[in-house]
Amino acid sequence: MGIAEILQKYGQNYAMAIFETLSMTLLCFVIAMGISIVVTVMRVSPIKPLRLVGDLYVQIFRNIPGVALLVLVAYALPNIRIVLPWKTCVEVTVVLLASAFGSENFMTGINAIGVGQIEAARSIGLTFTKTMQKIVIPQALRSAVLPMTNLLIATMLTTALGSQVPLNPQELTGLVSYITTDSTGLGILPFMISAVCYAGFSFLLGLLGNHIDKKVRVLR
Amino acid sequence: MSTQTPVIELRHVDKHYGDLHVLRDINLSVHKGEVLVLIGPSGSGKSTLCRTINRLETIDSGEILIEGEPLPQEGKALAQMRAEIGMVFQSFNLFAHKTILQNVTLGPIEVLGMSKAEAEARAMELLRRVGVDAQAAKVPAQLSGGQQQRVAIARSLAMQPKAMLFDEPTSALDPEMINEVLEVMVELAREGMTMVVVTHEMNFARRVSNRVVFMADGQIVEEGTPTEFFDHPKTARAKDFLDSIRGH
Repeated sequence: MGIAEILQKYGQNYAMAIFETLSMTLLCFVIAMGISIVVTVMRVSPIKPLRLVGDLYVQIFRNIPGVALLVLVAYALPNIRIVLPWKTCVEVTVVLLASAFGSENFMTGINAIGVGQIEAARSIGLTFTKTMQKIVIPQALRSAVLPMTNLLIATMLTTALGSQVPLNPQELTGLVSYITTDSTGLGILPFMISAVCYAGFSFLLGLLGNHIDKKVRVLR
Repeated sequence: MSTQTPVIELRHVDKHYGDLHVLRDINLSVHKGEVLVLIGPSGSGKSTLCRTINRLETIDSGEILIEGEPLPQEGKALAQMRAEIGMVFQSFNLFAHKTILQNVTLGPIEVLGMSKAEAEARAMELLRRVGVDAQAAKVPAQLSGGQQQRVAIARSLAMQPKAMLFDEPTSALDPEMINEVLEVMVELAREGMTMVVVTHEMNFARRVSNRVVFMADGQIVEEGTPTEFFDHPKTARAKDFLDSIRGH
């Protein structure tokens, strides 16, 4: 069977898998961004326990392999009576990983701002919250566009963890396992199709990231 | 000097950085309309002193009073007080992601609750006063150092402060830009602004200030009118310092 036949037989499955991969990516990335902002604000807050919790969160989830984390979420959480649907297990795993890395990206952005602007904000009477809202977060967001583009791509690739649990419909990597079991003798062709999809979307996201970065970059 | 409550008053202020005693029993009053210049060798504590006045630096003991009220420790009350004391930094510290106009309107809109239209109208007037109104739509990185510092002064003025602190405002500037900033400060002094200025600009100190405070090793060593201090310094420390900056 060549590519044409594979696509004819499994085209519908690929279309659904693409939708699954992209929708999971989008959902996970948006939630991860929200969590990374919260975690980052904790990490720079004047309250020490908050800083510790934020740092701990990042250290834990940045340093556990995705598969191991998925195993914990999918097979360890039921021991404390938390049984999540398979897809949710994957999404929780991806969000935990992405938010830890996202917070690191924001921290880099914040460190680039420098204490001077923060002192200036305080000296015109802005409170901690307002200084965060008006000075720190906007600049951290803007200077984090390129690293966050990389993180978005990494998030998409990490949704391939979905291949390790039974999903229906499957995402792009899980689908490959399904196809190679369903029809024998296809070699790596089904995988290549998925790989081209991943690469294509990564490329487009990269372009989009560069475009946004050029528009919002903070001149220094 | 007037008998009114001083705008800024420090009583027995002490501060340590670890073993280093950076401020030793500082007692100082600044009255309305007074221009006080803090000078001294580097490491003498003059910048630290300036920064304690709006609590960018905490103190270990003593009291700081603003119009007779003790400086709040933290939170909203502290933010409120800071809004009333302008601060100009050595490194300008303009908000890099905001336009020049937005730099000046941010405080009035967010802290004073002014409408955007009113804040912009007033900001443009202030920018005109310091001569950078033509740059209003640019971002800080597109301006020269002298222009940025004048914007920083306008940003402080927009808060209608009771007093302004200048922490070495010309030290980071190229020589040809120093005067444009000093001129703005001279103008402010003439209009009666209460000012505390940490500076190495002796001509400015001589021409504009009402009182010179000389610090060394965290202490106020000598204070007096500019004429007294520059022409007849009383202490050996002050004489040595004046000799060294005059290039003897």
